[in-house]
Amino acid sequence: MRKLIFLIILSLTVHIGFAQDIWISKNATVNFFSSTVVEDIEAKSNTGASVINAKNSEMIFKVSNTSFRFPKKLMEEHFNENYMESDKFPYSEFKGKISGAFNTEKDGNYQVTVSGNLSIHGITKAYSVPATISVAKGTLSAKTAFKIRIADHGIKVPSLVFKNIAETIDVKIQASYLPKQ
Amino acid sequence: MKKTNTKQFQHRFIAMLLSSLLGLPFMTRAQDDLEKELGGMSSKGEKVMATFKSGKLINLHTNETIHKNELDFKVDHRFGDIAGSNGGISQFFGLDNSTDIRIGFDYGITDRLTVGLARAKGATAVQQLIELSLKLRLVEQTIDDQVPVSITGFLSHTTAAVKANREDPTAATSYQKFTDRMSYVSQLIIARKFSPGFSLVLIPTYIHRNYTQFNDQNELFALGGGGRLKLNKRISFVVDYTVPFRNSQQKSYLEDINLKKFYNTLGVGLEMETGGHVFHLNFTNATAIQEMQFIPETTTSWTKGQYRWGFSISRRFSFNKHKK
Repeated sequence: MRKLIFLIILSLTVHIGFAQDIWISKNATVNFFSSTVVEDIEAKSNTGASVINAKNSEMIFKVSNTSFRFPKKLMEEHFNENYMESDKFPYSEFKGKISGAFNTEKDGNYQVTVSGNLSIHGITKAYSVPATISVAKGTLSAKTAFKIRIADHGIKVPSLVFKNIAETIDVKIQASYLPKQ
Repeated sequence: MKKTNTKQFQHRFIAMLLSSLLGLPFMTRAQDDLEKELGGMSSKGEKVMATFKSGKLINLHTNETIHKNELDFKVDHRFGDIAGSNGGISQFFGLDNSTDIRIGFDYGITDRLTVGLARAKGATAVQQLIELSLKLRLVEQTIDDQVPVSITGFLSHTTAAVKANREDPTAATSYQKFTDRMSYVSQLIIARKFSPGFSLVLIPTYIHRNYTQFNDQNELFALGGGGRLKLNKRISFVVDYTVPFRNSQQKSYLEDINLKKFYNTLGVGLEMETGGHVFHLNFTNATAIQEMQFIPETTTSWTKGQYRWGFSISRRFSFNKHKK
């Protein structure tokens, strides 16, 4: 019995010790832009979710494809129905590792590189992108911008609307993290 | 026996102790566990999108409405009989004739409410039709199946501008007063998207015509049903079928008088979608396009070659301010 209590106390302290390493963001914003001569399209989601393990620098970012809002509702429908096939692939997800030093205990801006696998439309591709992690008063925020070639993820644009949708999409991500409670 | 149990326990205990001290459980759990931390990514309550690509299958409506501040411009066309006594090569398989033409505008007041204004030729003696319609999403299917179906209400009011028939007092157009020219259609459109490529719709319908041919029904119930099967991302196979519940006595009276039988309507077709255009190519035995006409008064039959080419083209325009 005493052993058991000891074990429980031990595991509790262990978990509290780890808790500070886990940082969670629930309302990350993801913007993307497609710019062509014919049309500029911008979409935004405010419900991206991300988690960083500061101890081993692993991170995950996930966003629901249906959470993107477009200036025209019909675009939203086409985005989900024709391009992302959100019924089959509801989420876009990145799993990777942060390389470069950052200290969650010390305020400041840290330039890091995030490398890992981005899975969009069921097709996974390795990416390595620069990102900035900012630590201020016990909060952590991160932002990054990169480009995605839609053909890399098996998204085909029919020739009729080829001029309206860019081959390369600019993506911007901004996330504020809080330590796991 | 007991001894080994204790020993096992001790071993396990030491292993657990060691691993918690070294932070091993975390490393073994790694990213899968990190993903668990994300949690809350459920699609709870999220509405099913695009049960159908457009507001209509062939003859029947779907549960879809037009998005807010968008205008849908639609042209429907039904040609003459492909085969049978009124078809064949002399009529260029129906392409020389048109039984009905409809030009319609639908506008989304909100994402759930669409108002429509349309002009149709009309396929029976009742012609020069002007339709005002309302389409309202009442219930929307959710991804988690908390709500298993979508239900949309459709109300339409049609006025016939055709010249009143003064010679035959039994004719459908022997109008006495202006309100005689009006007909009403109310439908409950119950739809379900079973999978990304397969949707079905069931439509209980009530039609009221203020004025009809002598001894025809002013009130009529009907049941429609239809579906869509996606062949690929852009092309779908669509089908719909309507059964009007006519009073059998009045039905046989009218069939004798008019020397024409009443038939249920069947439409089959292909739906093609590119960007803002939806294009339908279909075959149906219905000559008319408006519900108040094709549901009660289809007198042409597939088995007699009285089916026709039909097409519809729709184009969506958006009046939302484009944010730069």
